[in-house]
Amino acid sequence: MNSTQRFRWLAASVVISCWAVPAAALHFEYSNDRPDELKACDTLEYRGQRFDADDCYAALRVSGSDPRIRAEAAWSLGDLRAANTQFQQAIELYPEDPRLRARWGELFVTTHQDNEAVKLFQEALEIDPDYAPAKLGLASVSAGRFEDQARAWVDEALENDPTQLRAHLLLARMSLETGDLDDAEASLDRALRLAESEDLPPLEIYALKASADLLRGVTDSVWTTRALDMNPSYGDIYAIPAHFYVITRRYREAIELLLEAVRIQPDLWAAHAELGVNLLRVNRIAEAMAHLETAYRGDPFSAKIVNTLRLIDSLDNFRDIVRMPGMDEAIAGAGMILRLHRDESDVLEPYVTDLVNDSIRTFSQRYGFELAEPVVVELYPEHDDFAVRTSGLPGIGLLGVTFGYLVAMDSPSGRTDNDFHWGTTLWHEMAHVFTLEATNHLVPRWFSEGVSVYEEWTTGPLPGRHIPMHVLRAAAEDKFLGIADLDSGFIRPSYDGQVMVSYMQAGLTCQFIERRWGQSAFVAMLEQYTQGADTPEAIEQALGLSADEFDRGFEAFIEAELGTVLDGLDDWRTQVERGFQAADNGDWAAALEAASAAVTSVPEYVADGNAYLLKAKAHDELEEPDQAMATLESYWSLGGHDAGALKTLARRLDERGRRADAIDVLDDLLGVVPLDSDLHIELGDWLMTEERATEALREYQAVLALNPHDQAGAHYRLATAYRQLEDAAKMREHLLYALEIAPHYREAQQLLLEIAR
Amino acid sequence: MRCATAILAIGLLAATPAGAETHYLIVGGLGGEPRYAESFAQQALSLAQSAQRTLNGDERVTLLRGEEATRDAVTGALERLAATVAEDDTIAIFLIGHGSFDGEQYKLNLPGPDLDGDTLAELFAALPARQQVIVNMTSASGAVLDAWAADGRTLITATKSGGERNATRFAEQWALALASEEADANRNGAITVQEAYDFATRKVADSFEGAGLLATEHSEVAGESALGFNIALLSARIATTEQLRNLIEQLEVLEGQIDTLRGRRDEMDNDVYLEELQGLLLELALVQREIDEARADE
Repeated sequence: MNSTQRFRWLAASVVISCWAVPAAALHFEYSNDRPDELKACDTLEYRGQRFDADDCYAALRVSGSDPRIRAEAAWSLGDLRAANTQFQQAIELYPEDPRLRARWGELFVTTHQDNEAVKLFQEALEIDPDYAPAKLGLASVSAGRFEDQARAWVDEALENDPTQLRAHLLLARMSLETGDLDDAEASLDRALRLAESEDLPPLEIYALKASADLLRGVTDSVWTTRALDMNPSYGDIYAIPAHFYVITRRYREAIELLLEAVRIQPDLWAAHAELGVNLLRVNRIAEAMAHLETAYRGDPFSAKIVNTLRLIDSLDNFRDIVRMPGMDEAIAGAGMILRLHRDESDVLEPYVTDLVNDSIRTFSQRYGFELAEPVVVELYPEHDDFAVRTSGLPGIGLLGVTFGYLVAMDSPSGRTDNDFHWGTTLWHEMAHVFTLEATNHLVPRWFSEGVSVYEEWTTGPLPGRHIPMHVLRAAAEDKFLGIADLDSGFIRPSYDGQVMVSYMQAGLTCQFIERRWGQSAFVAMLEQYTQGADTPEAIEQALGLSADEFDRGFEAFIEAELGTVLDGLDDWRTQVERGFQAADNGDWAAALEAASAAVTSVPEYVADGNAYLLKAKAHDELEEPDQAMATLESYWSLGGHDAGALKTLARRLDERGRRADAIDVLDDLLGVVPLDSDLHIELGDWLMTEERATEALREYQAVLALNPHDQAGAHYRLATAYRQLEDAAKMREHLLYALEIAPHYREAQQLLLEIAR
Repeated sequence: MRCATAILAIGLLAATPAGAETHYLIVGGLGGEPRYAESFAQQALSLAQSAQRTLNGDERVTLLRGEEATRDAVTGALERLAATVAEDDTIAIFLIGHGSFDGEQYKLNLPGPDLDGDTLAELFAALPARQQVIVNMTSASGAVLDAWAADGRTLITATKSGGERNATRFAEQWALALASEEADANRNGAITVQEAYDFATRKVADSFEGAGLLATEHSEVAGESALGFNIALLSARIATTEQLRNLIEQLEVLEGQIDTLRGRRDEMDNDVYLEELQGLLLELALVQREIDEARADE
């Protein structure tokens, strides 16, 4: 990003606190105590009679004696700064009015200042602990963050007052988000009855009704027509259903709806923002930029808009590398566009290209689906840039995200942890490309994740099944969900860590399916989803049993597959704690005994805090190097990938004359630390001794791309690789570059004398 | 035949005129805590050893560290240098330790009273040497970037401003650079100021990145005049015989020709450039081989 661009969006952040520009979405207040004079204006506004409504509100703003009404009028006119000032004055006059604080809170929600809003809702509840609109305000904020707490607030509000229309709308939204369409319809029907009996605005109900229809596959909903009859410029009739397309990953359809929303209501800034974010997800960058800029002009309060604009600006620092089958026969599928940061594109390109290509070949064959478009793969060195990509999506993974033909993830340089295996993450995301596109994005979250996790374990770059310890504990505590409810574990988790538990359960579920019905069952399931089946139907049709029967079978599978491990978890923890304690005390014999017992209890656990590395260390301390190496080899063979441990293992294997194995270990290590120039040098040097110059060349090219301090050495190594490949011209070129930098470089001088002879 | 009287250190302190000398002043300031005191003293010692190796002796190396590095001692050392060095000489000053900056004044923390940035600037200004390398590796050292800049002086600071106040890592890497073949990017057995700066800067950045930490220091350089100066020799290029002297002179002529050619690179066709470069490099390799063989015969 250049400095002008950075300044532009930094300046935007400052403006956020200024309450300067109007927001144009309709804001409904459903409480019965809304003043009648405001209701009269509202009616005009809800019917799309904008000018009349504005005149009505303007009159109240000027002549209204009550600052609470003046605040509402200013808000409806889009003058948020004036509304805020009026609310401040009103609080002085009516400090004990809970409605006033709740409404002021809603104004803060409108300007994306949720924390301030929450404070006001809480203040309202301090005045009146039963004040339902304040509870619903809190519920709304929680729901926007996909927090489970939202439902509790709604339930509490309804307990005191079952006629709260907004509560039913919130329930309906949450039910729609988790795919509980019948529950959603029931809530909406209750809301509709209340709206009719209380003469409250029904437009939002219509929009949610249309959303329910959409999720049932009905795209020309009668509710859309009804809403437009009432208010032809009610953009949310399209924008609200679009939200449900977005969270079910149907971005292309969401874009179509959002375009319609801004067509009928050009000043619906939120729709422009959503449009921009989602156009970016399908790689339509210029259009995304245009809509986001429009959104920003109308709503400078949104961090999401500003951050996404900044992200687009930062794409100037990236390089698009286009690899198409027509240009290179080795490229599979419809090709790829790698969007890599300029600082690391040279070094990462060959590895990313190979992995994407391998995954396309593998998955095309396994799923019988040919990709129709090139896959765009974005790797972000700044995790915050990647995080912008996932904004507003519930339960999205921390490492990568797939929007169909576009994959975005952290670059290896975007994470400082020593065990981020970028290759596995990319493999996982590439599987999503297939499951999403094969079903036109109709695959449910759990199955798409399950297939991706399963493919990680079985065909990915790391061997073995990797289940975090907290997930094993959740399994032991029977926290796995029934298959029909598994999506809710991703979208609206009810306890810390449930999203990861759901990932792993989905992976295990796919493993169960594969073991019992074979891999072709995945294809059959995908076909069912493509035809619009829900999960119970897909299971029934593809696997021939009910969801309940499936759950029982899965339970038995888990017992058979993990029963011993789950039974041993307590023992594992005890032994690991004992082992580390003994190590702290320098009692390595005891540490070894405990670590060995822990490995026996849960042999497949090689992630954080595993017992293998402790066991290897204990062997070393007890001067048992062969056993230490054997332990590290076991760890590696199970997919352990701690960078330090694998470097140690590689060197020990090499010392024992097992260079080919050592090379394999270092090759795996590139999946963790591809930007480590020493690793590339070591691997390249070893490959050269094995006369594998083509592979060595790739490593040496990576070294040069990393802009090492020892440029001369990097060129000299390239010269030696080209020499082994009998490419005399390239050899001479790099040799001269090496000597140009370091004329006294003895080895290079020697080679020069040899070739000149 | 050995020729004891013909021992000449040739060329490698390249930018220094014939007969000119190089002087080093190394100050390891107040540590405060034992761990800092120990590391500052060790870094200062390591730099002094590099300087002694470079000069093949220690008479022009002044090391002040620990309790002896007081304000009076440092001031006295600089005053002595001002009185003894010649215009054609080169002075290298390395400051290690804690520094502070209160928004107006930089201070080098020393046992007893500190030495402030203005006083140091005056003392440096009094040094007659036209070529000066001052490396201030203390915390907050960036505060002196403007105040200490001068013609003929290359000034390096461990931090970009006085606001970077954490204890620095730069000194450790600078000391390593002056003794490390890894820093010798052109493999000529000598470390230039530029090579040392590049090496140390990169290592500092790597150390933060490797630990997953945001860097709390960013080194800066002001003044390019002495960047090519060989601040340390890894091995002296010494002629012990007439034959070696001739060969080393040939080597230096070739080095000069290669430098000239490299300077014309942008104006030349790449193939022609490489062809000419190859010829010179071949000659240089042959001379180098003769030198190596002559040394092996000694």
